[in-house]
Amino acid sequence: MRIRFFLAAALVTAAAACNNPLDLKPAGSIPESSAITDAVGARAALFGAYGGLQSLSYYGEDFPILLDLSSDNSEHTGTLTSLGDADLNELRADNQTIAGIWIAIYDDINRVNEIIAKVPQVPNLDPDEMHEIIGEAYFLRALNYHNLVKLFGGVPLRLTPATSINDPTGSTRATVADTYTQILKDLDSAQAFISNPNQTTQASLGAVMALRARVLLYEGDYPGALTAAKAVEDLGQYSLAPNFSDLFAEDGSPTPEDIFRIIFTAQQFNNLSYYYLFDGRYEVAPTTNLMHDFDPSFDPSDDVANYDPVDKRGQWSISIEDDTQEGTKFRSVQGTEYPHVIRFGEVLLIRAEAEARVGSLDTARVKVNEIRARAGLAPIGSLSQTDMLNTIIDERRKELAFEGDRWPDLVRLGLATTVLGISAQQTLYPIPQREIDVTPGLTQNPGY
Amino acid sequence: MRRFTLSRAAAVLLGLTLYIAGPAAARAQQTATIRGTVTDSVSGQPVTGAQITIAGQVRGVTNDRGAYLSNVAPGTVTVRVQRIGFSPGERQVTLTAGDTTTLNFALHSVAVTLAQVMVIGYGTENRARVTGAVSTVNGSDVQNQPVAGLDAALQGKAPGVQVIQNAGDPGNGITVRVRGAASISASNQPLYVVDGIPVQSGDFSQLGPNGQGVTGVTGLDPSEIESITVLKDAASAAIYGSRASNGVVLITTKRGSAGTAHFSFDANTGWQQPERYLSLMNAKQYVAFMNQGAENDGDSDPFTPGVDDAHSTDWQRAIFRTAPVGNVHLGLSGGSDRLKYYLGGSYFGQTGIVLGSSYSRVSGRANIDFDATPNFSVKTSLAYSKELDHRIPGDNSLTGVVTNAIGEASIYPVRSPNGQFAGNDYDLYYANPVAIAELNNLPTTTDRFLGNVEGTYHFMPSLSLTGRVGADVLTMNELEWDSPLVDGTYAAQARGVAKSGYSTGNQYVLESFLTYDHENSEAASLNIVGGGSVEYNTDQLNFVRAEGFSSDQFHYVRNGTVITSFDGLPFNNNLISAFARANYSWKDRYLLSGSIRTDGSSRFGPNNRYAVFPAIAGGWVISDEPFMGDFGQKLGRVKLRASYGVTGNQGLTGDQEISDFAYLGLYGTSNYGENPGIAPTNFANPNLKWEATHEFDGGLDWYPFGGRLTVIADYYHRLTSNLLVNRPIPATTGFATYWDNIGNVLNRGFELGLNSVNFRSDDKNGFSWNTDFNISFNHNEVTALFQGQPFGDGENFRPISRVAVGQPIGEFYVLHFKGVDPQTGDAIYQDVNGDGEITSDDRVDAGSPQPKFFGGLRNTWSWKGFSLGSFLEFSYGAKVFNLMRIFADDGGYNYDNKFTYALNAWTHPGQITNEPRASFDGTSGAREISDRFIEDGSYLRISEITLSWRIPDHLMPVGALENTTLYVSGHNLHNFTKYTGYDPDVNSNGSTSNIALGTDYYAYPRARTISIGLSTNW
Repeated sequence: MRIRFFLAAALVTAAAACNNPLDLKPAGSIPESSAITDAVGARAALFGAYGGLQSLSYYGEDFPILLDLSSDNSEHTGTLTSLGDADLNELRADNQTIAGIWIAIYDDINRVNEIIAKVPQVPNLDPDEMHEIIGEAYFLRALNYHNLVKLFGGVPLRLTPATSINDPTGSTRATVADTYTQILKDLDSAQAFISNPNQTTQASLGAVMALRARVLLYEGDYPGALTAAKAVEDLGQYSLAPNFSDLFAEDGSPTPEDIFRIIFTAQQFNNLSYYYLFDGRYEVAPTTNLMHDFDPSFDPSDDVANYDPVDKRGQWSISIEDDTQEGTKFRSVQGTEYPHVIRFGEVLLIRAEAEARVGSLDTARVKVNEIRARAGLAPIGSLSQTDMLNTIIDERRKELAFEGDRWPDLVRLGLATTVLGISAQQTLYPIPQREIDVTPGLTQNPGY
Repeated sequence: MRRFTLSRAAAVLLGLTLYIAGPAAARAQQTATIRGTVTDSVSGQPVTGAQITIAGQVRGVTNDRGAYLSNVAPGTVTVRVQRIGFSPGERQVTLTAGDTTTLNFALHSVAVTLAQVMVIGYGTENRARVTGAVSTVNGSDVQNQPVAGLDAALQGKAPGVQVIQNAGDPGNGITVRVRGAASISASNQPLYVVDGIPVQSGDFSQLGPNGQGVTGVTGLDPSEIESITVLKDAASAAIYGSRASNGVVLITTKRGSAGTAHFSFDANTGWQQPERYLSLMNAKQYVAFMNQGAENDGDSDPFTPGVDDAHSTDWQRAIFRTAPVGNVHLGLSGGSDRLKYYLGGSYFGQTGIVLGSSYSRVSGRANIDFDATPNFSVKTSLAYSKELDHRIPGDNSLTGVVTNAIGEASIYPVRSPNGQFAGNDYDLYYANPVAIAELNNLPTTTDRFLGNVEGTYHFMPSLSLTGRVGADVLTMNELEWDSPLVDGTYAAQARGVAKSGYSTGNQYVLESFLTYDHENSEAASLNIVGGGSVEYNTDQLNFVRAEGFSSDQFHYVRNGTVITSFDGLPFNNNLISAFARANYSWKDRYLLSGSIRTDGSSRFGPNNRYAVFPAIAGGWVISDEPFMGDFGQKLGRVKLRASYGVTGNQGLTGDQEISDFAYLGLYGTSNYGENPGIAPTNFANPNLKWEATHEFDGGLDWYPFGGRLTVIADYYHRLTSNLLVNRPIPATTGFATYWDNIGNVLNRGFELGLNSVNFRSDDKNGFSWNTDFNISFNHNEVTALFQGQPFGDGENFRPISRVAVGQPIGEFYVLHFKGVDPQTGDAIYQDVNGDGEITSDDRVDAGSPQPKFFGGLRNTWSWKGFSLGSFLEFSYGAKVFNLMRIFADDGGYNYDNKFTYALNAWTHPGQITNEPRASFDGTSGAREISDRFIEDGSYLRISEITLSWRIPDHLMPVGALENTTLYVSGHNLHNFTKYTGYDPDVNSNGSTSNIALGTDYYAYPRARTISIGLSTNW
């Protein structure tokens, strides 16, 4: 009897210990070593890199919203102090929203670095497809670094996946010039590898060229920007959408103006309308200054109910309800519109500005009037170079309001200090304090 | 040949009253006779059943007159008397042949606590022999409390055990810290063990309606508990190894005993109200204040006096109500020699004092002990409970009921004239809290099955083999409906939001161990336990969220138009262990114990899978030493003890998919539209390993005044190293955080527990007065971090708490407020670095949420059948960050309602005040996050006052009922504190938060309860 009991106990314990219970595998994740090892993994990794753009700390919410708050386009009407500080241009280094943007962008850069490093080693991957994947990855890296340099100035350049937590690459900030050099180099690589011209929810040749135009404009290389913008036009596949509102279709329907835009769905949603709409959080609202820009007859000290612009962009982008103004460029309650990273309208404005800067005022005027015509505005006549540039900057503001472009524009043009009344130091965002704290040797921007 | 040698086996005495007599006749003349009586030194009453040992041999026990008599060989012999509940007595005497020597003993009784048989890990031990730091709480002390869980009921009852209620939501997760917080990212919760099996106590909820979570502890019914033992130091807890560094709470449920069937019945019902209301502005004050802020900045008045302030709503009173709470328990126990049983069932119901919230639990238990054969016994403990928790959004939520009631200005009505809830028609700034409470719902149902079957086979009386199988199966179903009828919420524009979540947690434990228990005639006893165990954890979750409903009458996912979120995944983590412990005691005077455990966890990579946790402890009953002599007897029993040991923690928190496999580099899902995508989610750390806590404890157990006073004091020094921290790393790597072992935390402190029988009358109905007091001091300090880098918590949009070397965990780190400039009314902040700017570089350490000391004081007076008990609970030195003031004391920058003390705002030059100038544009600095909002969280709480009356038998209408007691009780009657919020015992980040502590962000307040109850047996 005793022996039987003993045996039973021993068997139970042995059976329990069999199939070593400590060797478990995660159910919802793949070990990193086997993630990008075949064609399926390579493709999935690329989609994962696009998925990184959807982050609510990036194009899904914070990136366009914070940038417009820093500018004269929108003001803070909600409760989040990190956004309130941006509105007042009194940013602190410990601002959590900025930290989120920094983290989201570097997360995406890492995803891209993994693709660039590992996809070439994948067996059984069609060479054309491999090139396409790598080319799109280079495009994304260029986009990410340009977004970083627009906000922070020179940043650490990571071009390979991190293998060690203690890698010192993260502690040296490249100069602005070197960052631009790398961005343009990545765009060259992208252009060499990308073959698909037609997709708009992923990078294409047109997207690479359009981004190059933007990057060169920001860098101040106007002739270069001109060439690049012209190259986009010469592709002959883009034209302005007939109605401005088409661009912001709530279900993400395509338009001929799309160059590169980001997919959002009901499950992978953006919060743009949620933050702007009165029925949503109403965290941000248009400034009366912007309203005056859309409707010159509207006085900022007037009752907002008097806002009544002719400019169709002004009608679409700002609405008045119950005596309150709200930004209505993005209206999908579910957050399913596809915001544009870059579209043909911006390319035309880049062309116009570049032409004006090199002295071709007539061409500049033609391009500006294309934009104005779509907005229902009368064409402008001949203007001096200064006036033409001011007009173009103004058209950029109205066309791209709430898309996160006004703040980088003001900064690159040296207008931020005068228009917003801030100091030169405030034109750069602070490197997030959390990054300074964990990266010895990383220098902070002055004034923070 | 000695005729009266008793075998060793028969020396195990359990109340055998044997009269040891040497026959008067037929005795060889070579023996001597020794006789005497053993009495209680205080009362003089005879001590029966005391074991007599003469010359190393056990002779038997005293009879019912306390007398003994024995024949022994002549010579000088040592006579020893011992009985549980008394200090042993020992004397030497010289016996001569043929003579009769009388030797009487007067034994000192020790407090009942000494005589306790306490449950310790894998066995039981007498309090007399315990060498570790162990506290016990009786089941009766945690029963009949108007709180759902036993953890809440433990507050203030055991030294070294700090309980923070976090908020007053019925059924919410409670924070329990044994000897201070040691972990930064890993769990700080103690290990809960019920009837020998570790149980799940975490938060399985997928929905986060507010900052409060729920824990598995509320599924355990306090009415079923016989006793709770808290193992506090490493020596006592190390036998639980890798989960024990935060202490172990051993819960023993009631079991039957031989005898006729015996029913017990407890019922109580009470009424709860808020213990206090916040002092917020009424409509007139609000309008005047906001207008003043606008005028100060040259803006136009936002409100019109006489129009906007014509009607004032007290939003607090609109959401608070008097709510019932009650509990009923019926138990049946009994048994025979071979079968003993305890059956119990309870119902606990608590309606929340805030509209829309409530909690109820139905539970039942069957504990059956069966002696299958004389050598084989079986114990089964089976329990089932079902909880229904109606939660409401609250702290940390934009649509919280309490949040919006405090935030909503008093100028808005609750309802429009047509009876609908006021909303957009009145331009309500925040969603109507009454509408949220009444139209939205969030029922959470949890089913819990706890089962434990244990078989023990005795090879010999001293050697047994025990096998245990335990299962803890928890299923939680959460439903949420957010109505589109509540203006100003996301659901209003999304046309309703419905969520459905299922979580299951299954924990299976198989254990077996050998126990060797030996007492020999030299009064040496040895107890050895050794065995192994395997624990399987299988969890699973499913979740769906839908929007777009055609009618407010549909509340479930099926009727929505679009699924906006979905999830489903299993999780596993397992543990394999082996353990051994030896306890040795000689004459109950010298005590030594050692234990060792090794655990292997699936959470760590092959490099560090196994860890070893040793411990050693010793005790010395110095008062029994002969050299102490009479002084020792007068002093009372004094035991000195010391222990040293290592315990571990493997409780990584956060995303379970990552925390179960944090040592691996992982890729997870990142889809792009309909395209499946993957992206890196975790950076590998193959060297990740256990947290370890090395703890030294020195203690004193002293029972002076004949045991009327019990003093248990401990000093401890705990150093936790290799902290498991999800630490921030350079984001340029692509990852913001990374699980790593870094840093050290030191907790050292002092605990004191006193139990005193102040006054005791011999007459059962006379006056008696007992006092129990405990106080704990803890010093918490982070002593090392990775390269000394501090880090704040990412849980708030506003980082105010941080972890830094030389500071306690959760130290507040904000700007320092120096005062209000009498000339301008601006708030002045300290410019620490002297650069002329107030930036985040000017932050300073501004106070700690950890108290300097805390404890409880219980007094019980009884006279005749009446008994009055009071329980006070106190905490001193903790700071609370009143985050509500960011909006409620911001000088008028936000449209929120304000605290009335904002009316002291500066108005004219030369005025001295602490409230900055009212400023609609926020120019006075009132809205800066600084230590202006940090308040003193010390409190003294009248936690309970109970008056009970034991109905005399002759007054009982039904004769069969015995021990019938009626009582009336008040809980949380008053809290003496300077804190301006509801309750300083608060944490709006819930029980799982480690760093962000002591913050009040619109937490649900605790109720004051008056209840009446009845308990009886038959």
